[in-house]
Amino acid sequence: MDAISLMESAANGALIGLMYSLVAMGIVLIYKSSSVPNLAQGSMTMLAAYVVLAFANSAGAPIWAAISLAIITMFIIGLAIERVALRRLAGRPIIMILMMTLGLEIFLRAGSMTIWGGTTRPMNLGISDAPLFLGPLLINRAYAFGAVVTIAMFGFFVMFFRSRVGVVLRAISDDYTAAWSVGISVERGVALSWAMSAVVATIAGVLWSSVQGVDQSLAQLLLKGVTVAVLGGLDSIGGALLAGVLLGVVEGIASSVLDPLLGGASRDLVDAAMLILTILIRPHGLFGRHDIERV
Amino acid sequence: MNAPITAKILSLNNIEVVYDHVSLAIKGVSIDVPEGGMVALLGANGAGKSTTLKSISGLLTAERGEVRRGELQFRGQSIGGLMPQDRVKLGIAHVLEGRRVFEHLTPDENLIAASALHSRQDMNRNKDRVYSYFPRLHERRTVASGYLSGGEQQMLAIGRALMTQPKLLMLDEPSLGLAPFLVAEIFQILGRINRDEGLSILLVEQNAIAALEIVSHGYLIESGRIVMHDSAAALKKNPDIQEFYLGGAENKNFRDIKHYSRRKRWLT
Amino acid sequence: MLFRQAGIFHADYSADRALFPIPADRWMIGILLLLALAAPIYMNTLYLSSYLLPWLIWTAGALGLNLILGWAGQFHLGYAAVMGIGAYAAVHATRAGIPWEIAIVLAGITASVIGSVFAFAALRVKGLYLALSTLALQFVMDWTISHVPAISGGTQATLQAPDIRLLGRAVTSDAGLYYVALVWCVLVTSFMLNLRRTALGRALVAVREKDYAAAVIGVNSFYFKLVAFATSSFIGGVSGAILIGTFYHAVTPEQFSVDVSIQALAMVIVGGLGSIIGSYFGAAFILLMPGVMNSFISWATTKFGFSLGIETLAHLPQAFYGALIIGFLLIEPLGLGKIYNNIRDYLLVWPFGYTKK
Ligand SMILES: Nc1ncnc2c1ncn2[C@@H]1O[C@H](COP(=O)(O)OP(=O)(O)O)[C@@H](O)[C@H]1O
Ligand SMILES: [Mg+2]
Repeated sequence: MDAISLMESAANGALIGLMYSLVAMGIVLIYKSSSVPNLAQGSMTMLAAYVVLAFANSAGAPIWAAISLAIITMFIIGLAIERVALRRLAGRPIIMILMMTLGLEIFLRAGSMTIWGGTTRPMNLGISDAPLFLGPLLINRAYAFGAVVTIAMFGFFVMFFRSRVGVVLRAISDDYTAAWSVGISVERGVALSWAMSAVVATIAGVLWSSVQGVDQSLAQLLLKGVTVAVLGGLDSIGGALLAGVLLGVVEGIASSVLDPLLGGASRDLVDAAMLILTILIRPHGLFGRHDIERV
Repeated sequence: MNAPITAKILSLNNIEVVYDHVSLAIKGVSIDVPEGGMVALLGANGAGKSTTLKSISGLLTAERGEVRRGELQFRGQSIGGLMPQDRVKLGIAHVLEGRRVFEHLTPDENLIAASALHSRQDMNRNKDRVYSYFPRLHERRTVASGYLSGGEQQMLAIGRALMTQPKLLMLDEPSLGLAPFLVAEIFQILGRINRDEGLSILLVEQNAIAALEIVSHGYLIESGRIVMHDSAAALKKNPDIQEFYLGGAENKNFRDIKHYSRRKRWLT
Repeated sequence: MLFRQAGIFHADYSADRALFPIPADRWMIGILLLLALAAPIYMNTLYLSSYLLPWLIWTAGALGLNLILGWAGQFHLGYAAVMGIGAYAAVHATRAGIPWEIAIVLAGITASVIGSVFAFAALRVKGLYLALSTLALQFVMDWTISHVPAISGGTQATLQAPDIRLLGRAVTSDAGLYYVALVWCVLVTSFMLNLRRTALGRALVAVREKDYAAAVIGVNSFYFKLVAFATSSFIGGVSGAILIGTFYHAVTPEQFSVDVSIQALAMVIVGGLGSIIGSYFGAAFILLMPGVMNSFISWATTKFGFSLGIETLAHLPQAFYGALIIGFLLIEPLGLGKIYNNIRDYLLVWPFGYTKK
């Protein structure tokens, strides 16, 4: 294995990693505003991609119009999920909340398959297949585009959480009761975070589908998203960004080194190992908040 | 024994609260707070003080509690059916027991978060006001609130409540776990806010000595019922209060103390 | 009505602490046991071996998971992996000529040892993080099983399980296999019933409620978490081994994938956290639901004369299953077990309105 192709794996890995960050960002958004770990982020991403296709194919809208319509639709779906499924569970043990997001995961995934079927369909954003040249390295254009979008989203959310609304959302995740006591409408705040997360899922869904097509495997981005989110610290947007790059690079190198040895599929192993190691060594991730314990 | 007739900002009439549909926490509680007044609600642990406050601020629902009976009036308006944020909008602020600041936010952000209902100008004005009452918060406005000292957190909790521009401030055991000089400082500031701004205050305390120094009236709650109501001066002189709440029972032997625990219940 | 408490006076503590203080309960359980024992006589073998048998084994498995989830309050998203370890251990042991009785104990011990790794995760982290690390361990386990030929049995990845032999005699009849499952399920159930009367059971609940508070009153929470994980993994491992030995007769990694872990979780949630009878209900519900759903769909399509695509038919039960989990969490978070108890409480005091707590 020569240095150039290793660097190429690393560079493309970093770009893929940024697109993982986008999935992780959805998880972080919800966690940061309500301390709910959303295990349905993968299937939300998949659902969003199908919604885009539905607008583009059935309604015949041009792809960018379809994406905009899907963003609006998913915003509403996000609000609906919070209203129907999560609101009544506020304050329940984490076991039940996790189980609820798992139930949502199954429901959204199987629901999408029921409606749209399992065959892989392409999504064409009109990005050319020709690689970009970065010095001697060949870079995948779609990944590069995805990375740019991710960084833009990152900038937006960093600003958002400094805004007044963002501070309110962070307050909610700290203490529901205290938030109620100062007149914060906790329900609306949490609903907003789900809606934003659903929008992020739409963008992630579009980017990933343009790379790998629309099918059930989009839901499996959950494992990547969770790993990145935990590695970065569940409530840190910036952490998600860096952790995505880190995971992407490690995966890229690991798969080009390990795959020949282990007979493929070492990416998933790397993910799981990263997740376990993070949790055991540094549960709050690279940049996550510590639980402040004053007894 | 009744308070002189003035306008009431808050009146509770025969409130009954049940948790989890089964356990009765308070029963037949009636309390009046006069406009601009300062009233204490005293009682031992588990007597139902916090429950009373939560029934006023509407935070019971989150704990699966509900007001089963009785009437809650704020300036003549019935507030029983309102959501917590609507009660805050009316001017009811509740400083929770145990401070409960937003730990991962800075004090400044705590104050911002509490201004969800206000314009930016109002927020800035309120912040200035809070910082003038509690200059120490201003010094520490950029550290995570979880790392503030207990006294600073209590000040922040009060300041955060003031950000909602309340007409009635309810405080749940603000002296809990604080050194006496801090308690004195905080109570003195409360007195100032009450005098300068005419803010009505309902103060829940176990620390009767400190509380009776600054309030005009006090209610005593025992096992979910109001058992005594009088002016602060009269309460301080009451022999029962002296024995049980003001530490007047020093030179008794253990046999008598056992006896008290039985006699302590006034009405039940 | 049925369950009358009136006239039952307990003269000593042991009577008061009996498992079933109410005679109606004792009667009911006796009758159910008789019915279960006689099942091969009156039940057609198809039902016996394709419904009753997996139900009993899954109930035992769900009880093991309930020990961790309902009693000790530790989330476990990798329970199927633990069952799989037991299954593979037993199959390899019997293929190596070890008698089946010993093989399933070995299976339990192997699962228990590896499953206790989860406890070390639980020592360091709680709640969400524990859930995620158990999920990750499930993936590692999946990967290891399917990528190590020595375990999975090579590229085909299906390993035949030898017929099970008890005391040297092959057990192949449907009734025989059924009794194996029944004995295991009854064993696990009585263990769990007695658990709540022991110091261990109470300590587990203490750890669940607040582990640092438990530590303050002298409960060593790590020790009990370890015991909980080890015991539950043992039950899971043996259940996995029995599932393969009596039901599947061959083992593949997919039988113990992450979906199966979620299915086991669903059994516990639908049945009710910490509820023993609930585990029976939950396992039945989750196992029967796809079949019932399919017959319902085919009934509905012929009745109303519409047709559904293959894809739709394949995924609809799954979607319904997700909706069901959501529905249960919203409507009765404590599951079928709680519903059963509500009915029972109601009957206890009928015709009066309330029970006195
Ligand atoms: N969330 C709750 N659920 C059930 N019972 C409660 C709850 N909160 C308080 N109680 C009960 O209500 C009674 C009054 O409690 P509380 O109002 O907290 O007392 P205090 O504030 O005076 O110490 C106590 O008996 C307590 O056990
Ligand atoms: Mg209290």
